[in-house]
Formats: sequence, structure tokens, C-alpha cells
Amino acid sequence: MEVHPTSARFLTGQMKNNSKRYQMARFCAALCGVLVAAVNAYAGSQQGDLDWLKVVAFAGHQTDYSGIFVYQYDNRVETSRITHVVEMDGEYEKLESLDGPKREIIRHHGQVWCYINHKMIQMNSQGQTPRSRFADLLPEQLSSLSANYQANEVGMERVAGYNTQVIFLRPNDSLRYAHKIWVHTDSGLLLKASVLNEKNEVVEQYAFTQLQLNGNIDRSWIVRDVSAGKQKVESIIPSDNSKGITEVNSGWTADFMPTGFRKTKEISRAMYGKHRPVTQMVYSDGLSAVSIFIEPDDKDEDDIEGLFSRGAVNVYHKVTGSHLITVVGEVPPRTLIQVYHSVRFNGGDYLLGAIYCTFMPE
Amino acid sequence: MKQEISALMDGELFEDDAEGFLKRIERDSDAHKDWELYHLIGDVLRQPDHIHGDLSAKVRERMRDEPTIFVRRGHAGNQKMLTFALSAAASLSAIGVVAWMSMQIGSEALPSLAMQQNSVRPVKAQIQRYNSDYLMAHQEFSPSTDMNGGASYIRTVSYRSDEK
Repeated sequence: MEVHPTSARFLTGQMKNNSKRYQMARFCAALCGVLVAAVNAYAGSQQGDLDWLKVVAFAGHQTDYSGIFVYQYDNRVETSRITHVVEMDGEYEKLESLDGPKREIIRHHGQVWCYINHKMIQMNSQGQTPRSRFADLLPEQLSSLSANYQANEVGMERVAGYNTQVIFLRPNDSLRYAHKIWVHTDSGLLLKASVLNEKNEVVEQYAFTQLQLNGNIDRSWIVRDVSAGKQKVESIIPSDNSKGITEVNSGWTADFMPTGFRKTKEISRAMYGKHRPVTQMVYSDGLSAVSIFIEPDDKDEDDIEGLFSRGAVNVYHKVTGSHLITVVGEVPPRTLIQVYHSVRFNGGDYLLGAIYCTFMPE
Repeated sequence: MKQEISALMDGELFEDDAEGFLKRIERDSDAHKDWELYHLIGDVLRQPDHIHGDLSAKVRERMRDEPTIFVRRGHAGNQKMLTFALSAAASLSAIGVVAWMSMQIGSEALPSLAMQQNSVRPVKAQIQRYNSDYLMAHQEFSPSTDMNGGASYIRTVSYRSDEK
């Protein structure tokens, strides 16, 4: 039992500097099984059950897989195919819809391309900065998780022909959703996930129905440089700012956040269909996140204010004074609305915010 | 009575008689039921594919169940301001009431209302297009992306099929 799951973090840290990333990744994938065994040794304890989460995140990044999954919400079911491979230059992932018109999302190294309405659009780019990984969870974030959720192993089930360990994460308050996850006992891959509300009703659910692990997975779709391909790529990134995302101190703040939510990002970003940069603040408790988008109100007639839901993600969108504030998150609507009402400008280097503060009508 | 109803429906009563008779039907619930029954029979004879039982009661029922409107269009033009002032105020208070209710009840009433609202309003597709961009931007930094991998991105493209 020498191999503790936290070695996942150690290994990913190592990998960043390793030129033989590819081989290392293969090795790591094989190691997942060992991690799973280690976690099994902790079975029953709260900490051990939470360690499953680290295994899941680690396995998700390091495993080659291709499979078909269903996404279910509000009496709707959609079928999609997902392919994930680890190459020399990082992870490549393709998500394609199998129902309805062709929709496709390709992700690689913090970049997202979206094929929609016969157009390939580069949605965003975080440059070469790797995003923080769940496997890199800081100890305080993990303690925040254990302080706000009760994690319990609730049995073994078979999903898509594989044996899984079922873990139930029940929140200690009604400000967030409960999560139930089915983890493949060998690879540590997440094969099924449900989000439940406080009445124990399923809000949304993902489940693999067919899955190929490792082995010979189709890689022909990988295009090293999507813009060099035949497809016309429309980019939302303004030419004067190649990254499109800059870290800022906007001066905006949310006074209300459920316990354990910490600010993980504060950026000024380009957004598809927006002429001006939008401020985005992200708060997370390690399992769910709440994003607050703030932008000057452009008096767009097509703006629809109100609450909107898609599965576990809720969106609350409303004009306050001279700003349009949009709160998005995998939390119950009540929490979003409470967060929305607590957003205020607290001084900073953001000129528009300063104007807002001076002429605030309320 | 039934003969008179039949005659009225066939347009065989004089105008004066018909007016008095309609008032009687209004007062007399039995006659009212007969009136509806005769219309139903007529409908069935003419269009057997579309049979409507007590339609007016169903309409009343549906109107009672109709959710409070709290999705409102933003910013009416200045010249339209006066016209929209009242309706805007009304829908604003509706937002307040719904928000307040959700705080009190502490349940999932709000999203279910939102969903119903979506299903009856033609702006549905617009809301979805608009919000998908925020969903996409949120998804990048959400730990759910780490947990579910790219699968959670399905939220951002799902439903797009409804648009045009």
C-alpha cells in the first residue's frame, strides 16, 4: 500500500518536464490500476472515498479510449461518440453528436474547436498555459471537498460491460447538487455520472453504453494544425490579442458564495459574438463551479433576461445598472440567484467598473 | 329545450328569440351542458378526427396552470417606453415573486417553471444560442470537465438542433 493516490499529482507534475511524455502517459495509464488498488485499501474511510475523485481525473487525462455515451436530461436523451487519445504533444479529444445535425467539438491543449452549422469555429484558446487539473487538487481544496460533501462507496455495478465502483457524494447543504459516480475498477475511468437535486431526482446523467479502452483507437481525425486543414476556421480571438484571455483584477466581487467555493480564475476574455472583452470570475468547491460574467450592457434587443437550465448547469442572466451580469454554474438555481444578487463593484483597475460605481442607480 | 337548442344551432330561430334563448342557456347549467354536447356531436359528425370534449373547461384549466411569465424582453425603444412601462413593471414584479417563492420553498420550482416557460415561448432557440456561448466559456474552467472529460461539453452543443 505504498502507492498513495496522491502520487497521481506527483506523476503529472513530473510529466510536464518529460520529453518522453507519450511513453510516460502509457506508463501512467497502466499505473492507474495500481492507484485504484491503493484507493481500494482505503475503502470505507471518507478520505479514501474522496481519493476516488483524483483517480477519476487522472485516468480521464491519461487513458486512451473511444466510446458511445448517452446524455440524459429533462426527458431528453442524446447519443454521442467520444474519442480521447494521448499523443506526444498532449491530449486530443473529439466529441461528436450521433443524433440530429452534425456537431463536433475537438479539444487539444486548452484549445477548443467547434464544428457547428457547417462551420469550424475556434471557440477559445488558453495559449500554452495548461489549465489546473483535478489531479493537481491542492490539499486545502481537498479538505474543502471533505468539509462540504459526504463521500460514500455505495456498491458495485456493471456499466457498459465493465465493473464499476459506485460513489455517492452528498453535499452538506442544499446550495449544491449531489453527485453519483460509477468508476471503472480497473482503469479508474468515469463510466457513468448522475447529478441529483435535494429531492434525489436525477437532474442530468451521462453513461457509456459502449467503450473501447486503450488498444487500437482511430487517430486519423487528429489534425496537428486545424487552421491548416481544408476547413475554413473562424476565430473569435482578436488579432491584436493572440491569447484572447488575460488575467485581471476587475474590482468586481461576489459577497455570497456557498462555503468552500474559492476563486480559481479572474480573467478578461474575448467571447464569440461579443465585440468587447468580458470579465469572467470562476469559483469552485472542487466538484462544481460558478462563473460570473460581467460586461457593459449593450442594450441588445435580443437579450433575454431570466433563468435558463440545461441539465445540471443553470444560467441566470440579467441587467443591473449599466452592466449585464450572467451567472453560470452546476449548482441549483437558488444558489445562482443568491450569487447574482451579491455581485458588486469593489474598486479596481477596470475603468468601466469605476464609472458604474460612480453612477450606480441603486 | 333540447329542440330549441337544436333549432338555434341550425339557425332556425328568429334573432330576438335566439338572443333570449342564449341568455337562458347561460343561466341554466343543464341547458349549457346540452349546448356543448350538441356542438360536440356536430363537430364529430363534421370532423371525426378532431374530437374535443369540454373544451372551454380545458382552456380554463390550462390557463390556471400557465406559469407566471418571468422571462421578459429587455429594453423597449424610447418611443415604446410608455406602452411597455406597465407590462414591464408587471413582469418585473413577477420575477420578484418567483425569486421570492424559490427562496421560500427552497425547491426546484424555479427551473421547472423556466423549462415550461421555454416550451411555450418562441424565443426558446434564441435563449439557447445566447447561453451556449456562456456555457462553453464556463465549461473550460469547471472541474466537471476534469471529471467527465469532454463529455460534459455535450451541454454546450446539445439542443442546438432546435435552432435555425
